[in-house]
Amino acid sequence: MPLLVADNLHRTFVVGDARVQAVSGVSLSLDAADFVALVGPSGCGKSTLLHLCGAMDKPTAGTVRLEGVALEDLGDDGLTRIRRDRVGFVFQFFNLLPTLTVLENVALPVLLAGGRSAAAEPAARALLDRVGLGSREHHYPRQLSGGEMQRAAVARALVHGPALLIADEPTGNLDSENGRLVLDLLTGLNRELGVTLLLATHDRDIASAAGRVVRMRDGRIE
Amino acid sequence: MHLFRWFILRRLAQEPLRSMTTTLGVALGIAVVVAIQLTNASSLRGFEAALNAVSGRASLEIVGTGVGVDETRLTGLGWLRDYGDVTPVIEGEIALREKARPQETLRVLGIDILRDRSFRDYPLTESPDLPSDRLLSRLLDPSSAILAEKFAAPRGLQVGSTFDAIAADRTTTLTVRGLLKDEGPARVLDGHFVLMDIAAAQFLLDRLGRIDRVEIRLEDPARIESAEQEIRARLPAGLAVQRPAQRGRQVEQMLSAFHLNLTALSYIALVVGLFLVYNTVSVAVLSRRGEIGVLRALGVSRSRVRTLFLAEAATFAVAGCSAGVVLGRFLANGAVALTATTVSTLYIRTAAAPPALDWSVIVLAFAVGVPLALIAAAIPAQEAARVPPAAAIRGSDQVDTRTRIPRRYVAVAIALLALGGWLATRPAVNGLPIFGYASAFAIIFGASFLVPAVLFAVVRTLDAPVRRFLHVEHWLAVTNISSAVFRLSISVAALAVSLSMMVAIAVMVGSFRETVVYWTGQTLQADLFVSPAAAGRPSAEATLSPEVVRTVMTSQDVLAVDRFRVTDVPYGDTRIRVGAGDFDVILTHGSLLFKTPETPTDAKTAMRSAIGEDAVVASEAFTLKHAVNVGDQVLVPTPAGPVSFRLAAVYFDYSNDRGVLMMDRSTFERHFGALAPSGLTVYLKDRTMPEEARARILSAIGDSHSVFINTNQSLRAEVLRIFDSTFAITYALELVAIVVAILGISGTLVTLVLEREAEFTILRLMGTGRRQIRRMVVGEAVIIGGVSQAIGLVVGLALSMVLIYVINVQSFGWTIQFHVPWTFLAQSSVLIVAATALAGLYPARRANQLTRFDR
Repeated sequence: MPLLVADNLHRTFVVGDARVQAVSGVSLSLDAADFVALVGPSGCGKSTLLHLCGAMDKPTAGTVRLEGVALEDLGDDGLTRIRRDRVGFVFQFFNLLPTLTVLENVALPVLLAGGRSAAAEPAARALLDRVGLGSREHHYPRQLSGGEMQRAAVARALVHGPALLIADEPTGNLDSENGRLVLDLLTGLNRELGVTLLLATHDRDIASAAGRVVRMRDGRIE
Repeated sequence: MHLFRWFILRRLAQEPLRSMTTTLGVALGIAVVVAIQLTNASSLRGFEAALNAVSGRASLEIVGTGVGVDETRLTGLGWLRDYGDVTPVIEGEIALREKARPQETLRVLGIDILRDRSFRDYPLTESPDLPSDRLLSRLLDPSSAILAEKFAAPRGLQVGSTFDAIAADRTTTLTVRGLLKDEGPARVLDGHFVLMDIAAAQFLLDRLGRIDRVEIRLEDPARIESAEQEIRARLPAGLAVQRPAQRGRQVEQMLSAFHLNLTALSYIALVVGLFLVYNTVSVAVLSRRGEIGVLRALGVSRSRVRTLFLAEAATFAVAGCSAGVVLGRFLANGAVALTATTVSTLYIRTAAAPPALDWSVIVLAFAVGVPLALIAAAIPAQEAARVPPAAAIRGSDQVDTRTRIPRRYVAVAIALLALGGWLATRPAVNGLPIFGYASAFAIIFGASFLVPAVLFAVVRTLDAPVRRFLHVEHWLAVTNISSAVFRLSISVAALAVSLSMMVAIAVMVGSFRETVVYWTGQTLQADLFVSPAAAGRPSAEATLSPEVVRTVMTSQDVLAVDRFRVTDVPYGDTRIRVGAGDFDVILTHGSLLFKTPETPTDAKTAMRSAIGEDAVVASEAFTLKHAVNVGDQVLVPTPAGPVSFRLAAVYFDYSNDRGVLMMDRSTFERHFGALAPSGLTVYLKDRTMPEEARARILSAIGDSHSVFINTNQSLRAEVLRIFDSTFAITYALELVAIVVAILGISGTLVTLVLEREAEFTILRLMGTGRRQIRRMVVGEAVIIGGVSQAIGLVVGLALSMVLIYVINVQSFGWTIQFHVPWTFLAQSSVLIVAATALAGLYPARRANQLTRFDR
């Protein structure tokens, strides 16, 4: 059974007096351990589609099933649970919490899911070692470089063992070297852990690392 | 717990200025509430403690109607011994005469020592268990007195020492025969206590033939209800039975309006502090929307986000309440000092020291502060819970950029203002202006909801003229405010609320003062006022000696004398004042400011009709509190029982709020007996030289008696001095509220500055100087201060009307003529705007420190 099935998704935003059709009739299917890249210019609806697939937003029309669960039928608590337990996010601007150390940032999803520090911290340390930040666990985000922050964000996105990892322009705010490092990390973890990776980018080079590329334009898949 | 520690507490620690400002705001608000509660309790508890200490083990007491119990009636009360032990008691006040110290008042207790031991204990320092007969032998001499050691020791008084005491207008030398330990009755008025034999006390206090009450200690205390009923049924007219606590409840009733006013004022300071909590949590939510979005993306539920920010508010509340309780105890010292004059002058003599902080006040502080802080933070916490994860990360839902004020704000404001108007028309509840205060709060909250619309309208109006006539940084200040109207509205509302209370109280006090000045001008027509030196105010207990009265009346300087007498009588669950004066003298030489009949001629005719009749003239406060009018019959307790008096006229009286019934002296003597006067109002033949006449009269009286003689001018000054001291505490409370609000302004500006780091960097890149940056931020502060003061003025005037025409009338029964102190309001407006400008200096400095060209 596919891990994620999105069928005829529509998402409309009302901004002032205007209605913006961010996603229009998009259908998508992901299997476990897939690495799919969403490619398109800025404003084509990539991020909106990611949010719909990642239970961060609900479609105006259409269905999204993650591991068989219809996300559009869930209330806010249900979507929250899905995000907490089954999805990991990596953002363009890292979005680490500034008042938490690197270790605390990475351990947070496990704690949110009800885990104890005794279980969360070892898991966080293991991932930090995997992403090469084992020696920085007690530093705060402001003490890290952009590449380091993004690697910490990747570790945070995976610590709770999600089925789906969503990355929205994960290299968009990094230089080419750090961008390559982060991309290699994501593709490596996709292979090692078998986590499904859905990544949005406007960079064709980044997209070429994916197993499948889905092109979007003006809210539709080309 | 992890989230709370990491997400909330750490951020609070990283922003110490804002955290401390908010905590201080709550602390000040709680401190004021605690201080007022302790102050209110102080005056009442001081009296109740004295009452309990003196009452001892008495179960019931037999009292007369304000002038005590005639001793000749005691022979007919022998049957009271069937119920238990019975003893007569007399109480009064004397003043200690000391050269180096101000005059101090001592409470005298005169007892029948042989019968009294089952009621009270008198542990002497040197002989704690002295038998009754030995104690009696110490007090046989009429000049013998037993003092509290706590009072005597600091003054160097020992057993065998003598001291001069003034009782009414007579100076007497008393000898110390013993010192009491600090227990029981010796604790009255913080040790200001004198124990004497009852006969000696009667002589000292000029109460020969009278006692204050007969106390009964029931053999079977469990039968108190039935005993009380039986005794009540058997007592002759003019005597009443009550429990000792009844006197305390009467005093509590007298003080209730005064206490409620202070309590309501104290809650204003707390409300302002809670505005700060709302503001701080609101700003935290707004500035951390991105982080909240991340938490939501990671799977933190809405309720958990809401709980986090409520916990932030609770943190401020707990810290603020803890500090506030300690600070409040400290402030209580000042508050008691500020209110002591008023309470002692208008109501009861009270002990100076406030009571110690006990658990009930501490619990009250937390029980009030924490829930209110949670209520204050509820709306921003709910806003935080509603932050959608996706939109917050995108940053596309910044609520600050709203360019229209939601209609619901204006609708809520109008509804609250209308509600406030309606509540102001409601009557008092048990004599208390509950609806009046509700009206004031509704107006305050209604005005708060109008603040965004007003602020928005002001900046839109200022935009063009500022751009045209002032510098660019001033125009930037206007545009910055217009883009942050909602975030600034709470701070503006908090300051406006404080300022509106300041304006309301200034108008109310100013109006009241003008009314009192006019009233004293119309009413205090006599040239001299003679009173016993031992009394600080006209008192039922201190009277003038016949020698003094004769000396004054036969003086060559004197044209006419009104020998007035006042006495307090129980009236329902409170006490009123019954006064007697020479109506003929008053009508010929003096003046009363009449309310009804309205014309002076008709009023004087009505008053003259009361001479020799069973008729009274009532103060306005009496008629409002007891719902009577001219022509009605009023039942007045007298020694012979209740007597019906016709209400002939109503006059304005601002000397007390309890209510006064005044009758002609002949009527008073007919019902209460020929009692010595409490004071004399004197009209001179030559009105141009009152000081000289005063000196001659004092010389004629000589050293044998001690009296105060005030001239008309000095008495008016004294009236205004007491008036000004009465309202000193209200000014102090308002100052606290204003300080808290200005702290909030400064805190908000700092937050807005911190969030505009990029903007300041760009401005500096473009060549904006540091002085311009400072002028811009200070300009924002000035606009905020100006708008707050303007709103405060308008709302304050509305509130002053509620204070004057509703709260004051229902609390005290006084009509006040509306008068606006324009000079004061203009001066305070300038000061407030200047203060907020100063509050903008620190945020301006932070703004200049922020610019970093390396980012």
